Amino acid sequence: MAPIVTDSEQPFTLSVPQSDLDFLKKKLELVRFPDELDDAGWNYGVPLSDMRRLVTHWKDKFDWRAAEADINLLPMFTRDVTVDNFGTLNIHYVHQRSEVPNAIPLLFVHGWPGHFLEARKLLSYLSAASPDHPSFHVVAPDLPGFGFSEAPTKRGFAAHQYAEVLNKLMLALGYEEYVYQGGDWGHAIGRHIATIYGHKHLKAWHSNLPIPTKPTLFAHPLAFLRDLLPYSRTTREGLRATAEYRATGMGYLAEQSTKPQTIGYLIADSPVGLLAWIYEKLVEWSDSYPWTDDEVLEWVSIYWFSRAGPAASLRIYYEMAGGSGRLEKGAAKGAKWTSVPLGLSYFPRELFHLPKWWAPTLGKVVYAEEHDEGGHFAAYEQPGALAEDLRRMFGRRGPAYGVVPGKNGYASIGSRREAVNSQ
Amino acid sequence: MAADKAGAEQPFTISIPQAELDLLRQKLVLIRFPDEIEGAGWDYGVPLEDTRRLIAHWKDAFDWRAAEADINLLPMFTRDIAIEGFGTLNIHYIHKRSEIAKAIPLLFVHGWPGHFLEVRKLLPLLTAGSPDHPSFHVVAVSLPGFGFSETPKKPGFAGRQYAELVNKLMLSLGYDEYVYQGGDWGHAVGAHLATHFGHRNLKAWHSNMPLSDKPKLFSHPIAFIRNLFPHDKTTREGLQVTAEFLSKGCGYMTEQKTKPQTLGYSLADSPVGLLAWIYEKLVTWTDSYPWTDDEVLEWVSIYWFSRAGPAASIRIYYEMMGGGSKDRLSGTKWTSIPLGLSYFPREHWRLPKSWGATLGKVVMRSQHDKGGHFAAFEQPEALADDVRKMFAKGGPAYGVVAGKDGYA
Repeated sequence: MAPIVTDSEQPFTLSVPQSDLDFLKKKLELVRFPDELDDAGWNYGVPLSDMRRLVTHWKDKFDWRAAEADINLLPMFTRDVTVDNFGTLNIHYVHQRSEVPNAIPLLFVHGWPGHFLEARKLLSYLSAASPDHPSFHVVAPDLPGFGFSEAPTKRGFAAHQYAEVLNKLMLALGYEEYVYQGGDWGHAIGRHIATIYGHKHLKAWHSNLPIPTKPTLFAHPLAFLRDLLPYSRTTREGLRATAEYRATGMGYLAEQSTKPQTIGYLIADSPVGLLAWIYEKLVEWSDSYPWTDDEVLEWVSIYWFSRAGPAASLRIYYEMAGGSGRLEKGAAKGAKWTSVPLGLSYFPRELFHLPKWWAPTLGKVVYAEEHDEGGHFAAYEQPGALAEDLRRMFGRRGPAYGVVPGKNGYASIGSRREAVNSQ
Repeated sequence: MAADKAGAEQPFTISIPQAELDLLRQKLVLIRFPDEIEGAGWDYGVPLEDTRRLIAHWKDAFDWRAAEADINLLPMFTRDIAIEGFGTLNIHYIHKRSEIAKAIPLLFVHGWPGHFLEVRKLLPLLTAGSPDHPSFHVVAVSLPGFGFSETPKKPGFAGRQYAELVNKLMLSLGYDEYVYQGGDWGHAVGAHLATHFGHRNLKAWHSNMPLSDKPKLFSHPIAFIRNLFPHDKTTREGLQVTAEFLSKGCGYMTEQKTKPQTLGYSLADSPVGLLAWIYEKLVTWTDSYPWTDDEVLEWVSIYWFSRAGPAASIRIYYEMMGGGSKDRLSGTKWTSIPLGLSYFPREHWRLPKSWGATLGKVVMRSQHDKGGHFAAFEQPEALADDVRKMFAKGGPAYGVVAGKDGYA
């Protein structure tokens, strides 16, 4: 069935006003750098030499118009989506259809400091047609307050609302039933979509940042008992990496979940401030990804030129924590275990390395894959590997094959009866 | 008595180069403001309305040169101080002598986001001579990386180094024995100073931010037992406030103690960013202090125009807290030099009073019903009064500095 294009869908072309580019240039010319300790390396944050180099490149070399033109080759749209008690938000998204008519509709959801472009490299993999693997129609939106989506103007836009706006987007595109892939906030939101719309609309989901909770005896007895045994070295190393992130890598999160407006002034006004704030994570959270200066600046420019401004993107932390400052509790609040099939991918340089046998606390895990390369931005760093995981999960021999009735992702329907995964 | 490894004193005048003022102005003209949630108030951080107003004032009305001229009326100096392993740092300070020859030498140490000017209102009070209360010679230092002091260039400048530096400053001024007043980092530096130089040079100290760990059975048995009993209502409320601060008001601290360089880029580059970052504390940490725009902008300008830049000031968190791995009192010891504590109601650390015993030999406790974190600035009379009481004739720390009891 062709997607229903309602009145409000508009094709979207990115076209940053020249005055905005001129303004940025003026600010780049006036950047005032801080000092730095001798031999600081990355111990205190982003090194000064990286920042000087990037600012110079941004000011003198980086060609935004060329980047913009490339982005505009993507099939992008906007449409109005109404959210209960929040009015209408104009949402920006990539909608890449496959040639395969019954490709599986897949919603890809980014996190922070990510955006819709994180899906870029995945698009061709996922929408490619082949007898050997399933194909997907991919929808990659900008979350409200990110990229080129509007931001909510009232307080309280949290888990329920994110789930609602995304589900409504998929319905508006004619995808009554769909699957999902996400990491970072995409993981948290996936849990909530599964809780609220699981089975009815969301048929299966996949996360590359599993954040499970510790198993309890009654809810997950086997996992609980396994937890009592000594941890293997790999698990211990993973827990150590997690502990390190928690000890030294969460300042951004503490500030953003408590005082997003205050930190917002810094990153809205200062290009170098915004650059440092994001670049720190691009480097620390990826698995030695060989960022080019152009890649970094394109990524950060999306934030600089974003529709609602960079400060708006931080509020997801505050709202999901319910203003309590306790994000981990807040983000999962209301999310329930569901039997919606769940696939997980473990990348070694991801921030959380909780024991794998805790995963069943998240949902009905039907697929899990471990990788030996890749970090937090899996779709960007390891698109082939991530795509492969999705293909295996949803492929003919996969555990989530045919979850979306009538859309198994293949051009020809098999002569034998389709096996539809039980719900 | 001779100055120990310290250079010659130079009188100091602030004279910010015009080019700096011009750059600031250029940036103020190009400020890009964020959006704001409707009805946000102070819930999400500094309100946009406040920031817009302050920026407009900074750009069009605030007169830095007038403020500068006023500050220059204070007796300010610089001198080089050598710190083991860190070379020489040129340190800025106020040194106001009392007319009373035997006034008690007192070192005042600020915190973050404070600076040397926090002592301003205290100076005339502490240096005043009277038969009814002691008088003090006051030294108010700009900590390294703050105000007009140089900043260390190498990693690892922490408790021991801060103590060494301020002690050497006092020795270089001829004050072999002295007393001390501080809050915020001034409190932590006081604890390190007492540990390394207590008795020998530091004879007594006073803090308006009593922050310490809870008592342990073997070291402070009475306080420990007292702490086991249910706390009274005021104490419970205080603990609630502290918990609230820790869960909702510590984002700045978490970032500063782990990634000061990353945050530093925006503080150094963005006037509105620096303003918001500091102003949030000036308002949320004070007891409804009626800040004027000029007061706020003068305060923030000290950071904007600081010698080492604003990013240097936040490194104290990283160094003192081991990049997130230890607490700021780590390495300090209980000492028996007299300690006075002042409790102000809107301070954000509101721990049970019995915990103060773990810091040192508490000889005086004053409870106030007005005032917050920036006590010297908000409640100078009350604070001066506490300090005077502590060292007065008949007071618990009278005459601790030999031959200098503060009276004519």
